[in-house]
Amino acid sequence: MAISVQQLTKSYRVHHKEAGLRSSLRNLFARRYELVEAVKQVSFEVAQGEIVGFLGPNGAGKTTTLKCLAGLLHPNAGSAEVLGFTPHNRERAFLKQITLVMGQRNQLLWDLPAMETFLVNQAIYGVPEREFRATLQELVALLGLEPLLTKQVRKLSLGERMKCELAASLLHRPRVLFLDEPTLGLDVTAQAAIRDFLRAYNQQYAVTVLLTSHYMADVTALAKRVLVIDHGELKYDGDLHALVEQTAPYKLLRLTLQQPVDSADLTRLGEIESLNGLEVTLRVPRDATKLVMAQVLASLPVEDVMIEEPPIEQIIRDVFQHGASYA
Amino acid sequence: MHNLLRAYRGLFRANVAIAFTYRAQAVIWMLSFVFPLVMLAVWLAVVDQAGPVGGYNRGDFISYYLVGAVLYRFVLMGLTYHWDHEIRTGELSVRLLKPLDPFHYYLSEQLGWKVLDLLILVPLALVAALLIPGVHYALSPARLLAFVFSVVLGMTINVCISSAFGMIAFWTTQSRNLFELWSGIGQFLSGFIAPLPLFPLFMQRVAAVLPFRNSVGLPVDILMGRVGWAATGQGLLVGALWALGACMIYRVLWRLGLRRYEAVGA
Repeated sequence: MAISVQQLTKSYRVHHKEAGLRSSLRNLFARRYELVEAVKQVSFEVAQGEIVGFLGPNGAGKTTTLKCLAGLLHPNAGSAEVLGFTPHNRERAFLKQITLVMGQRNQLLWDLPAMETFLVNQAIYGVPEREFRATLQELVALLGLEPLLTKQVRKLSLGERMKCELAASLLHRPRVLFLDEPTLGLDVTAQAAIRDFLRAYNQQYAVTVLLTSHYMADVTALAKRVLVIDHGELKYDGDLHALVEQTAPYKLLRLTLQQPVDSADLTRLGEIESLNGLEVTLRVPRDATKLVMAQVLASLPVEDVMIEEPPIEQIIRDVFQHGASYA
Repeated sequence: MHNLLRAYRGLFRANVAIAFTYRAQAVIWMLSFVFPLVMLAVWLAVVDQAGPVGGYNRGDFISYYLVGAVLYRFVLMGLTYHWDHEIRTGELSVRLLKPLDPFHYYLSEQLGWKVLDLLILVPLALVAALLIPGVHYALSPARLLAFVFSVVLGMTINVCISSAFGMIAFWTTQSRNLFELWSGIGQFLSGFIAPLPLFPLFMQRVAAVLPFRNSVGLPVDILMGRVGWAATGQGLLVGALWALGACMIYRVLWRLGLRRYEAVGA
Protein backbone atom coordinates (compact mmCIF):
# COMPACT_ATOMS: atom_id res chain seq x y z
CA MET A 1 0.00 0.00 0.00
CA ALA A 2 1.28 3.44 -0.88
CA ILE A 3 -0.87 5.14 1.75
CA SER A 4 -2.31 3.61 4.88
CA VAL A 5 -4.34 5.64 7.35
CA GLN A 6 -5.65 4.18 10.61
CA GLN A 7 -8.04 6.02 12.94
CA LEU A 8 -6.42 9.35 12.05
CA THR A 9 -7.61 12.17 14.31
CA LYS A 10 -6.59 15.82 14.24
CA SER A 11 -8.08 18.65 16.27
CA TYR A 12 -7.31 22.35 16.38
CA ARG A 13 -7.61 24.82 19.18
CA VAL A 14 -9.48 27.78 17.77
CA HIS A 15 -9.26 31.10 19.51
CA HIS A 16 -12.43 33.22 19.34
CA LYS A 17 -12.29 36.96 19.34
CA GLU A 18 -14.93 39.53 18.53
CA ALA A 19 -13.97 42.63 16.57
CA GLY A 20 -13.13 45.84 18.42
CA LEU A 21 -10.72 47.30 20.92
CA ARG A 22 -12.61 46.28 24.01
CA SER A 23 -12.60 42.65 23.06
CA SER A 24 -8.89 42.93 22.21
CA LEU A 25 -8.22 44.09 25.75
CA ARG A 26 -10.39 41.40 27.25
CA ASN A 27 -8.57 38.87 25.13
CA LEU A 28 -5.27 39.83 26.67
CA PHE A 29 -6.44 38.34 29.95
CA ALA A 30 -9.01 35.71 29.17
CA ARG A 31 -9.08 33.89 25.90
CA ARG A 32 -11.90 31.71 24.72
CA TYR A 33 -10.73 28.57 23.03
CA GLU A 34 -12.73 25.93 21.31
CA LEU A 35 -11.48 22.53 20.31
CA VAL A 36 -12.43 21.72 16.74
CA GLU A 37 -12.09 18.14 15.59
CA ALA A 38 -11.14 18.54 11.95
CA VAL A 39 -10.58 14.84 11.29
CA LYS A 40 -12.19 12.08 13.37
CA GLN A 41 -10.88 8.53 13.28
CA VAL A 42 -10.51 8.33 9.55
CA SER A 43 -9.14 5.09 8.07
CA PHE A 44 -8.41 4.20 4.46
CA GLU A 45 -5.75 2.72 2.21
CA VAL A 46 -4.56 3.65 -1.24
CA ALA A 47 -2.59 1.34 -3.53
CA GLN A 48 0.40 2.44 -5.60
CA GLY A 49 -0.74 3.94 -8.90
CA GLU A 50 -4.30 4.64 -7.79
CA ILE A 51 -6.02 8.01 -8.22
CA VAL A 52 -8.43 8.73 -5.39
CA GLY A 53 -10.71 11.77 -5.22
CA PHE A 54 -11.50 13.42 -1.94
CA LEU A 55 -14.99 14.91 -1.79
CA GLY A 56 -16.54 17.05 0.88
CA PRO A 57 -17.78 20.57 1.57
CA ASN A 58 -15.48 23.33 2.81
CA GLY A 59 -14.13 22.57 6.27
CA ALA A 60 -14.94 18.88 6.00
CA GLY A 61 -11.37 17.83 6.79
CA LYS A 62 -10.02 17.07 3.31
CA THR A 63 -7.12 19.49 3.45
CA THR A 64 -6.30 18.62 7.05
CA THR A 65 -6.03 14.96 6.05
CA LEU A 66 -3.73 15.83 3.14
CA LYS A 67 -1.58 17.98 5.41
CA CYS A 68 -1.24 15.12 7.89
CA LEU A 69 -0.22 12.79 5.06
CA ALA A 70 2.33 15.27 3.71
CA GLY A 71 3.90 15.65 7.16
CA LEU A 72 2.85 19.24 7.79
CA LEU A 73 0.62 18.40 10.73
CA HIS A 74 1.14 16.08 13.67
CA PRO A 75 -1.97 13.96 14.19
CA ASN A 76 -3.48 13.88 17.69
CA ALA A 77 -4.30 10.20 17.49
CA GLY A 78 -4.20 7.32 15.08
CA SER A 79 -1.52 6.78 12.49
CA ALA A 80 -0.66 7.52 8.92
CA GLU A 81 1.90 5.78 6.78
CA VAL A 82 3.01 6.91 3.33
CA LEU A 83 5.45 4.72 1.38
CA GLY A 84 6.34 3.11 4.69
CA PHE A 85 7.25 6.41 6.37
CA THR A 86 5.54 8.25 9.20
CA PRO A 87 4.89 11.59 7.50
CA HIS A 88 5.38 14.00 10.40
CA ASN A 89 8.90 12.73 11.03
CA ARG A 90 9.67 14.45 7.71
CA GLU A 91 12.61 12.25 6.82
CA ARG A 92 14.57 13.36 3.79
CA ALA A 93 13.94 10.08 1.96
CA PHE A 94 10.19 10.57 2.50
CA LEU A 95 10.06 14.21 1.41
CA LYS A 96 12.00 13.35 -1.75
CA GLN A 97 9.24 10.96 -2.83
CA ILE A 98 6.14 13.05 -2.26
CA THR A 99 4.71 16.37 -3.26
CA LEU A 100 1.77 18.45 -2.11
CA VAL A 101 0.39 20.98 -4.56
CA MET A 102 -1.78 23.59 -2.91
CA GLY A 103 -3.92 25.69 -5.24
CA GLN A 104 -3.67 28.60 -2.85
CA ARG A 105 0.02 28.40 -2.07
CA ASN A 106 2.93 29.42 -4.16
CA GLN A 107 6.41 27.99 -4.08
CA LEU A 108 7.67 29.88 -7.12
CA LEU A 109 10.18 32.67 -6.57
CA TRP A 110 7.99 35.68 -7.20
CA ASP A 111 10.53 38.06 -8.71
CA LEU A 112 12.39 35.65 -10.95
CA PRO A 113 11.43 33.52 -13.96
CA ALA A 114 10.03 30.08 -13.08
CA MET A 115 13.19 28.46 -14.42
CA GLU A 116 15.06 29.81 -11.38
CA THR A 117 12.68 27.98 -9.03
CA PHE A 118 13.19 24.81 -11.04
CA LEU A 119 16.96 25.13 -10.62
CA VAL A 120 16.62 25.78 -6.88
CA ASN A 121 14.45 22.67 -6.56
CA GLN A 122 16.98 20.66 -8.55
CA ALA A 123 19.64 21.72 -6.04
CA ILE A 124 17.45 21.06 -2.99
CA TYR A 125 16.28 17.64 -4.12
CA GLY A 126 19.72 16.76 -5.46
CA VAL A 127 18.42 15.78 -8.92
CA PRO A 128 21.32 14.81 -11.24
CA GLU A 129 21.71 17.14 -14.22
CA ARG A 130 20.76 14.64 -16.94
CA GLU A 131 17.69 13.42 -15.13
CA PHE A 132 16.67 17.02 -14.43
CA ARG A 133 16.98 18.05 -18.08
CA ALA A 134 14.99 15.02 -19.24
CA THR A 135 12.20 15.54 -16.72
CA LEU A 136 12.06 19.25 -17.40
CA GLN A 137 11.87 18.70 -21.14
CA GLU A 138 9.00 16.30 -20.67
CA LEU A 139 7.07 18.58 -18.31
CA VAL A 140 7.62 21.55 -20.59
CA ALA A 141 6.13 19.56 -23.47
CA LEU A 142 3.21 18.11 -21.50
CA LEU A 143 2.24 21.42 -19.90
CA GLY A 144 3.19 23.75 -22.75
CA LEU A 145 5.60 25.74 -20.60
CA GLU A 146 8.08 26.78 -23.28
CA PRO A 147 7.01 30.45 -23.59
CA LEU A 148 6.63 30.82 -19.80
CA LEU A 149 10.06 29.75 -18.61
CA THR A 150 11.78 33.10 -18.98
CA LYS A 151 8.91 35.32 -17.79
CA GLN A 152 8.96 36.74 -14.28
CA VAL A 153 6.57 34.69 -12.16
CA ARG A 154 4.61 37.72 -11.02
CA LYS A 155 3.82 38.53 -14.66
CA LEU A 156 2.22 35.10 -15.27
CA SER A 157 -1.54 34.56 -15.30
CA LEU A 158 -3.06 32.34 -12.63
CA GLY A 159 -3.36 29.39 -15.03
CA GLU A 160 0.20 29.80 -16.26
CA ARG A 161 1.46 30.01 -12.72
CA MET A 162 -0.38 26.85 -11.73
CA LYS A 163 1.24 24.97 -14.61
CA CYS A 164 4.68 26.15 -13.48
CA GLU A 165 3.74 25.26 -9.92
CA LEU A 166 2.90 21.71 -11.01
CA ALA A 167 6.16 21.41 -12.92
CA ALA A 168 8.14 22.67 -9.91
CA SER A 169 6.38 20.08 -7.75
CA LEU A 170 7.15 17.18 -10.09
CA LEU A 171 10.78 17.79 -11.06
CA HIS A 172 12.00 15.39 -8.39
CA ARG A 173 9.67 12.69 -9.75
CA PRO A 174 7.62 12.07 -6.61
CA ARG A 175 5.83 8.72 -6.32
CA VAL A 176 2.93 10.14 -4.33
CA LEU A 177 1.09 13.31 -5.33
CA PHE A 178 -1.20 15.13 -2.94
CA LEU A 179 -3.20 17.71 -4.86
CA ASP A 180 -5.28 20.20 -2.93
CA GLU A 181 -7.52 22.17 -5.27
CA PRO A 182 -5.01 22.14 -8.13
CA THR A 183 -7.43 23.86 -10.52
CA LEU A 184 -8.79 26.49 -8.14
CA GLY A 185 -9.67 29.72 -9.91
CA LEU A 186 -8.63 28.48 -13.34
CA ASP A 187 -10.73 28.89 -16.46
CA VAL A 188 -12.28 25.84 -18.13
CA THR A 189 -9.50 25.43 -20.70
CA ALA A 190 -6.74 25.59 -18.11
CA GLN A 191 -8.66 23.18 -15.86
CA ALA A 192 -8.94 20.70 -18.70
CA ALA A 193 -5.24 21.07 -19.55
CA ILE A 194 -4.20 20.33 -15.95
CA ARG A 195 -6.60 17.40 -15.80
CA ASP A 196 -5.29 15.89 -19.05
CA PHE A 197 -1.76 16.32 -17.81
CA LEU A 198 -2.47 14.57 -14.51
CA ARG A 199 -4.17 11.68 -16.24
CA ALA A 200 -1.30 11.21 -18.67
CA TYR A 201 1.27 11.54 -15.91
CA ASN A 202 -0.46 8.97 -13.73
CA GLN A 203 -0.73 6.49 -16.60
CA GLN A 204 2.88 6.88 -17.60
CA TYR A 205 4.50 6.63 -14.17
CA ALA A 206 1.91 4.82 -12.04
CA VAL A 207 2.16 7.53 -9.41
CA THR A 208 -0.34 7.53 -6.56
CA VAL A 209 -2.62 10.56 -6.52
CA LEU A 210 -4.87 11.84 -3.76
CA LEU A 211 -6.86 14.77 -5.03
CA THR A 212 -9.34 17.27 -3.61
CA SER A 213 -11.29 19.64 -5.76
CA HIS A 214 -14.36 21.81 -5.74
CA TYR A 215 -14.79 21.09 -9.40
CA MET A 216 -16.60 17.82 -9.68
CA ALA A 217 -15.33 17.49 -13.24
CA ASP A 218 -11.78 17.13 -11.88
CA VAL A 219 -12.82 14.22 -9.75
CA THR A 220 -15.06 12.46 -12.27
CA ALA A 221 -12.43 12.83 -14.99
CA LEU A 222 -9.57 11.45 -12.93
CA ALA A 223 -10.72 9.26 -10.07
CA LYS A 224 -12.62 6.00 -10.17
CA ARG A 225 -12.59 5.80 -6.42
CA VAL A 226 -13.74 8.54 -4.09
CA LEU A 227 -13.58 9.23 -0.38
CA VAL A 228 -16.45 11.31 0.91
CA ILE A 229 -15.70 13.16 4.10
CA ASP A 230 -18.00 15.41 6.09
CA HIS A 231 -17.53 17.03 9.49
CA GLY A 232 -14.26 15.16 9.78
CA GLU A 233 -15.82 11.74 9.34
CA LEU A 234 -15.35 9.39 6.42
CA LYS A 235 -18.81 8.75 5.00
CA TYR A 236 -18.04 6.77 1.91
CA ASP A 237 -15.08 4.97 0.42
CA GLY A 238 -15.54 3.29 -2.92
CA ASP A 239 -16.42 3.45 -6.55
CA LEU A 240 -17.71 6.78 -7.80
CA HIS A 241 -20.45 5.18 -9.93
CA ALA A 242 -21.60 2.96 -7.08
CA LEU A 243 -21.93 6.11 -4.96
CA VAL A 244 -24.12 7.64 -7.62
CA GLU A 245 -26.37 4.59 -7.84
CA GLN A 246 -26.57 4.22 -4.11
CA THR A 247 -27.35 7.80 -3.21
CA ALA A 248 -29.38 8.68 -6.27
CA PRO A 249 -31.62 5.67 -6.85
CA TYR A 250 -33.44 7.60 -9.54
CA LYS A 251 -32.94 8.90 -13.04
CA LEU A 252 -34.29 12.02 -14.65
CA LEU A 253 -36.84 11.96 -17.47
CA ARG A 254 -36.82 15.19 -19.40
CA LEU A 255 -40.03 15.62 -21.37
CA THR A 256 -41.03 18.19 -23.93
CA LEU A 257 -44.84 18.21 -24.21
CA GLN A 258 -46.98 19.18 -27.16
CA GLN A 259 -49.62 20.72 -24.93
CA PRO A 260 -50.02 21.39 -21.20
CA VAL A 261 -51.18 18.49 -19.04
CA ASP A 262 -52.64 18.25 -15.58
CA SER A 263 -49.89 17.95 -12.95
CA ALA A 264 -51.82 15.08 -11.35
CA ASP A 265 -51.14 13.08 -14.52
CA LEU A 266 -47.45 13.77 -14.04
CA THR A 267 -47.19 12.92 -10.34
CA ARG A 268 -48.77 9.55 -11.14
CA LEU A 269 -45.66 8.76 -13.18
CA GLY A 270 -42.94 10.18 -10.96
CA GLU A 271 -41.83 12.99 -8.68
CA ILE A 272 -41.85 16.37 -10.41
CA GLU A 273 -38.37 17.83 -10.29
CA SER A 274 -39.25 20.88 -12.36
CA LEU A 275 -42.22 22.08 -14.37
CA ASN A 276 -41.73 24.93 -16.75
CA GLY A 277 -44.52 25.34 -19.29
CA LEU A 278 -44.09 22.46 -21.68
CA GLU A 279 -40.72 21.40 -20.26
CA VAL A 280 -41.06 18.82 -17.50
CA THR A 281 -38.44 16.92 -15.52
CA LEU A 282 -39.51 13.84 -13.59
CA ARG A 283 -37.60 11.77 -11.06
CA VAL A 284 -38.28 8.09 -11.55
CA PRO A 285 -36.90 5.10 -9.69
CA ARG A 286 -33.84 3.73 -11.40
CA ASP A 287 -35.22 0.21 -11.90
CA ALA A 288 -38.62 1.44 -13.12
CA THR A 289 -37.25 3.76 -15.76
CA LYS A 290 -38.21 1.64 -18.76
CA LEU A 291 -41.69 0.99 -17.47
CA VAL A 292 -42.39 4.65 -16.76
CA MET A 293 -40.99 5.56 -20.15
CA ALA A 294 -43.54 3.29 -21.84
CA GLN A 295 -46.33 4.79 -19.77
CA VAL A 296 -45.24 8.31 -20.63
CA LEU A 297 -45.25 7.55 -24.32
CA ALA A 298 -48.64 5.88 -24.09
CA SER A 299 -50.46 8.41 -21.89
CA LEU A 300 -48.92 11.86 -22.54
CA PRO A 301 -48.71 14.06 -25.63
CA VAL A 302 -44.89 14.10 -25.81
CA GLU A 303 -42.77 15.79 -28.41
CA ASP A 304 -39.45 14.51 -27.06
CA VAL A 305 -38.12 12.37 -24.14
CA MET A 306 -34.64 12.02 -22.68
CA ILE A 307 -33.35 9.82 -19.87
CA GLU A 308 -30.48 11.34 -17.83
CA GLU A 309 -28.30 10.55 -14.83
CA PRO A 310 -28.71 13.20 -12.16
CA PRO A 311 -25.73 15.60 -12.20
CA ILE A 312 -23.05 14.46 -9.77
CA GLU A 313 -22.86 17.89 -8.13
CA GLN A 314 -26.47 17.47 -7.15
CA ILE A 315 -25.92 13.99 -5.79
CA ILE A 316 -23.08 15.14 -3.61
CA ARG A 317 -25.14 18.10 -2.43
CA ASP A 318 -27.95 15.72 -1.49
CA VAL A 319 -25.49 13.53 0.31
CA PHE A 320 -24.25 16.34 2.51
CA GLN A 321 -27.63 17.94 3.06
CA HIS A 322 -29.34 14.79 4.21
CA GLY A 323 -26.33 13.65 6.16
CA ALA A 324 -27.24 10.04 5.63
CA SER A 325 -24.72 7.28 6.19
CA TYR A 326 -23.79 5.28 3.18
CA ALA A 327 -20.61 3.53 4.08
CA MET B 1 26.95 17.71 3.84
CA HIS B 2 27.39 17.37 0.09
CA ASN B 3 23.62 17.72 -0.34
CA LEU B 4 23.58 20.83 1.81
CA LEU B 5 26.37 22.47 -0.19
CA ARG B 6 24.55 21.77 -3.42
CA ALA B 7 21.34 23.21 -2.03
CA TYR B 8 23.17 26.32 -0.84
CA ARG B 9 24.72 26.88 -4.22
CA GLY B 10 21.28 26.80 -5.84
CA LEU B 11 19.59 28.96 -3.21
CA PHE B 12 22.42 31.40 -3.10
CA ARG B 13 22.38 31.94 -6.83
CA ALA B 14 18.65 32.69 -6.77
CA ASN B 15 18.89 34.96 -3.74
CA VAL B 16 21.68 37.07 -5.18
CA ALA B 17 19.57 37.34 -8.34
CA ILE B 18 16.62 38.55 -6.24
CA ALA B 19 18.78 41.08 -4.40
CA PHE B 20 19.93 42.42 -7.76
CA THR B 21 16.36 42.49 -9.10
CA TYR B 22 15.43 44.95 -6.39
CA ARG B 23 17.96 47.54 -7.45
CA ALA B 24 16.12 50.50 -5.94
CA GLN B 25 15.63 48.70 -2.67
CA ALA B 26 19.30 47.77 -2.66
CA VAL B 27 20.29 51.41 -3.01
CA ILE B 28 17.97 52.54 -0.22
CA TRP B 29 19.23 49.72 1.94
CA MET B 30 22.81 50.75 1.28
CA LEU B 31 21.95 54.19 2.55
CA SER B 32 21.44 52.77 6.02
CA PHE B 33 25.23 52.60 5.92
CA VAL B 34 24.91 56.29 6.71
CA PHE B 35 23.45 55.88 10.23
CA PRO B 36 26.72 54.90 11.92
CA LEU B 37 28.39 57.76 10.04
CA VAL B 38 25.95 60.15 11.70
CA MET B 39 27.19 58.85 15.05
CA LEU B 40 30.73 59.45 13.81
CA ALA B 41 29.90 63.06 12.90
CA VAL B 42 28.56 63.64 16.42
CA TRP B 43 31.72 62.28 18.01
CA LEU B 44 33.99 64.26 15.71
CA ALA B 45 32.18 67.44 16.68
CA VAL B 46 32.76 66.58 20.34
CA VAL B 47 36.48 65.85 19.78
CA ASP B 48 36.92 69.09 17.83
CA GLN B 49 35.55 71.10 20.76
CA ALA B 50 36.75 69.19 23.81
CA GLY B 51 39.78 67.20 22.62
CA PRO B 52 40.12 63.38 22.82
CA VAL B 53 37.30 61.57 24.66
CA GLY B 54 38.21 58.59 26.85
CA GLY B 55 41.41 58.01 24.87
CA TYR B 56 39.72 58.29 21.44
CA ASN B 57 41.03 61.05 19.19
CA ARG B 58 39.77 62.06 15.75
CA GLY B 59 41.59 59.28 13.88
CA ASP B 60 40.46 56.69 16.41
CA PHE B 61 36.79 57.58 15.99
CA ILE B 62 37.04 57.52 12.20
CA SER B 63 38.84 54.16 12.28
CA TYR B 64 36.24 52.80 14.71
CA TYR B 65 33.16 53.84 12.76
CA LEU B 66 34.53 53.01 9.33
CA VAL B 67 34.71 49.34 10.30
CA GLY B 68 31.72 49.65 12.65
CA ALA B 69 29.48 50.92 9.84
CA VAL B 70 30.27 47.92 7.64
CA LEU B 71 29.87 45.47 10.52
CA TYR B 72 26.58 47.07 11.52
CA ARG B 73 25.21 46.00 8.13
CA PHE B 74 27.14 42.81 7.76
CA VAL B 75 26.93 41.06 11.12
CA LEU B 76 23.30 41.74 12.06
CA MET B 77 20.90 38.97 11.04
CA GLY B 78 17.13 39.30 10.99
CA LEU B 79 15.92 35.72 10.60
CA THR B 80 13.13 36.50 13.07
CA TYR B 81 11.25 38.34 10.31
CA HIS B 82 11.34 35.34 7.98
CA TRP B 83 10.25 32.90 10.65
CA ASP B 84 7.55 35.16 12.02
CA HIS B 85 6.04 35.89 8.62
CA GLU B 86 6.10 32.34 7.35
CA ILE B 87 4.79 30.73 10.53
CA ARG B 88 1.92 33.20 10.98
CA THR B 89 0.79 33.10 7.35
CA GLY B 90 1.32 29.38 6.89
CA GLU B 91 3.89 29.98 4.12
CA LEU B 92 6.14 27.72 6.17
CA SER B 93 4.12 24.79 4.76
CA VAL B 94 5.76 25.20 1.36
CA ARG B 95 9.21 24.94 2.98
CA LEU B 96 8.29 22.01 5.22
CA LEU B 97 7.49 19.94 2.14
CA LYS B 98 11.06 20.22 0.92
CA PRO B 99 13.90 17.95 2.03
CA LEU B 100 15.77 20.97 3.40
CA ASP B 101 15.32 22.69 6.75
CA PRO B 102 13.49 26.03 6.25
CA PHE B 103 16.32 27.65 8.21
CA HIS B 104 18.59 27.32 5.17
CA TYR B 105 16.18 29.24 2.94
CA TYR B 106 16.17 32.21 5.27
CA LEU B 107 19.88 32.12 6.00
CA SER B 108 20.75 31.92 2.31
CA GLU B 109 18.42 34.84 1.61
CA GLN B 110 20.16 36.94 4.25
CA LEU B 111 23.55 35.89 2.93
CA GLY B 112 22.46 36.87 -0.59
CA TRP B 113 22.13 40.46 0.66
CA LYS B 114 25.46 40.23 2.43
CA VAL B 115 27.07 39.63 -0.96
CA LEU B 116 26.04 43.17 -1.84
CA ASP B 117 27.87 44.32 1.29
CA LEU B 118 31.00 42.53 0.31
CA LEU B 119 30.90 43.84 -3.24
CA ILE B 120 30.08 47.45 -2.48
CA LEU B 121 30.55 48.47 1.14
CA VAL B 122 33.83 46.72 1.80
CA PRO B 123 35.69 48.27 -1.19
CA LEU B 124 34.16 51.63 -0.26
CA ALA B 125 35.45 51.34 3.31
CA LEU B 126 38.87 50.21 2.07
CA VAL B 127 39.24 53.22 -0.20
CA ALA B 128 38.12 55.53 2.62
CA ALA B 129 40.62 53.92 5.00
CA LEU B 130 43.45 54.61 2.55
CA LEU B 131 42.44 58.18 1.75
CA ILE B 132 41.43 59.58 5.13
CA PRO B 133 44.40 60.71 7.23
CA GLY B 134 44.72 59.34 10.76
CA VAL B 135 42.97 56.02 10.06
CA HIS B 136 44.96 53.20 11.59
CA TYR B 137 44.52 49.49 12.35
CA ALA B 138 46.75 46.86 13.96
CA LEU B 139 47.10 44.71 10.87
CA SER B 140 49.11 41.68 12.01
CA PRO B 141 48.14 38.31 10.46
CA ALA B 142 47.08 37.04 13.90
CA ARG B 143 44.84 40.04 14.49
CA LEU B 144 43.31 39.80 11.01
CA LEU B 145 42.58 36.14 11.61
CA ALA B 146 41.04 36.90 15.00
CA PHE B 147 39.00 39.68 13.38
CA VAL B 148 37.59 37.41 10.66
CA PHE B 149 36.85 34.75 13.26
CA SER B 150 35.07 37.25 15.51
CA VAL B 151 32.96 38.50 12.57
CA VAL B 152 31.89 34.97 11.64
CA LEU B 153 31.13 34.25 15.29
CA GLY B 154 29.15 37.50 15.52
CA MET B 155 27.05 36.46 12.53
CA THR B 156 26.54 32.99 14.00
CA ILE B 157 25.35 34.45 17.30
CA ASN B 158 22.87 36.69 15.51
CA VAL B 159 21.62 33.83 13.31
CA CYS B 160 20.95 31.67 16.38
CA ILE B 161 19.40 34.38 18.51
CA SER B 162 17.18 35.77 15.74
CA SER B 163 16.00 32.22 14.98
CA ALA B 164 15.25 31.57 18.65
CA PHE B 165 13.12 34.74 18.68
CA GLY B 166 11.48 33.60 15.46
CA MET B 167 10.26 30.42 17.15
CA ILE B 168 8.10 32.52 19.47
CA ALA B 169 5.80 32.98 16.45
CA PHE B 170 4.49 29.44 17.04
CA TRP B 171 2.93 30.72 20.27
CA THR B 172 2.23 34.44 19.88
CA THR B 173 2.16 37.09 17.19
CA GLN B 174 4.64 39.26 19.11
CA SER B 175 7.92 37.65 18.11
CA ARG B 176 8.91 40.56 15.87
CA ASN B 177 8.28 43.12 18.59
CA LEU B 178 10.22 41.15 21.16
CA PHE B 179 13.11 40.84 18.73
CA GLU B 180 13.03 44.56 18.04
CA LEU B 181 13.12 45.30 21.74
CA TRP B 182 16.13 43.02 22.04
CA SER B 183 17.80 44.71 19.04
CA GLY B 184 17.12 48.12 20.57
CA ILE B 185 19.08 47.16 23.66
CA GLY B 186 21.73 45.89 21.27
CA GLN B 187 22.14 49.32 19.68
CA PHE B 188 23.58 50.57 22.96
CA LEU B 189 25.45 47.54 24.17
CA SER B 190 27.01 46.52 20.85
CA GLY B 191 29.22 49.60 20.68
CA PHE B 192 27.26 51.09 17.80
CA ILE B 193 26.09 54.29 19.58
CA ALA B 194 29.50 54.77 21.16
CA PRO B 195 32.63 52.67 21.68
CA LEU B 196 32.02 50.62 24.83
CA PRO B 197 35.06 51.97 26.77
CA LEU B 198 33.26 55.33 26.85
CA PHE B 199 30.36 53.85 28.83
CA PRO B 200 30.13 53.90 32.64
CA LEU B 201 31.99 50.96 34.17
CA PHE B 202 28.87 49.03 35.27
CA MET B 203 27.47 49.16 31.73
CA GLN B 204 30.76 47.88 30.38
CA ARG B 205 30.51 44.97 32.81
CA VAL B 206 26.97 44.20 31.68
CA ALA B 207 28.00 44.45 28.02
CA ALA B 208 30.87 42.05 28.62
CA VAL B 209 28.52 39.18 29.48
CA LEU B 210 25.92 39.91 26.78
CA PRO B 211 26.24 38.86 23.12
CA PHE B 212 25.74 42.33 21.54
CA ARG B 213 29.39 43.34 21.80
CA ASN B 214 30.31 40.50 19.44
CA SER B 215 28.45 42.27 16.62
CA VAL B 216 30.43 45.53 16.51
CA GLY B 217 32.57 46.46 19.51
CA LEU B 218 34.72 43.37 19.87
CA PRO B 219 35.65 42.88 16.18
CA VAL B 220 36.53 46.57 15.80
CA ASP B 221 38.60 46.56 18.98
CA ILE B 222 40.45 43.47 17.76
CA LEU B 223 41.24 45.16 14.45
CA MET B 224 42.34 48.37 16.14
CA GLY B 225 44.51 46.53 18.63
CA ARG B 226 42.56 47.91 21.60
CA VAL B 227 42.03 44.55 23.30
CA GLY B 228 44.72 42.15 24.52
CA TRP B 229 44.67 38.46 23.61
CA ALA B 230 43.25 37.38 26.98
CA ALA B 231 40.34 39.81 26.70
CA THR B 232 39.85 38.79 23.07
CA GLY B 233 39.65 35.13 24.03
CA GLN B 234 37.24 35.92 26.83
CA GLY B 235 35.00 37.97 24.52
CA LEU B 236 34.94 35.21 21.91
CA LEU B 237 34.17 32.59 24.55
CA VAL B 238 31.23 34.59 25.90
CA GLY B 239 29.94 34.95 22.34
CA ALA B 240 30.38 31.26 21.58
CA LEU B 241 28.43 30.32 24.72
CA TRP B 242 25.58 32.62 23.68
CA ALA B 243 25.56 31.12 20.17
CA LEU B 244 25.44 27.62 21.61
CA GLY B 245 22.72 28.45 24.14
CA ALA B 246 20.57 30.29 21.61
CA CYS B 247 20.99 27.50 19.08
CA MET B 248 19.84 24.92 21.61
CA ILE B 249 16.82 26.99 22.61
CA TYR B 250 15.97 27.53 18.95
CA ARG B 251 16.10 23.83 18.11
CA VAL B 252 14.05 22.78 21.16
CA LEU B 253 11.40 25.42 20.43
CA TRP B 254 11.40 24.33 16.77
CA ARG B 255 10.56 20.74 17.75
CA LEU B 256 7.82 21.87 20.11
CA GLY B 257 6.53 24.45 17.66
CA LEU B 258 6.16 21.97 14.80
CA ARG B 259 3.89 19.84 16.97
CA ARG B 260 1.47 22.73 17.29
CA TYR B 261 1.98 24.22 13.83
CA GLU B 262 -1.40 24.51 12.18
CA ALA B 263 -0.39 25.06 8.55
CA VAL B 264 -3.08 27.73 8.26
CA GLY B 265 -4.47 28.92 4.96
CA ALA B 266 -5.08 26.84 1.90
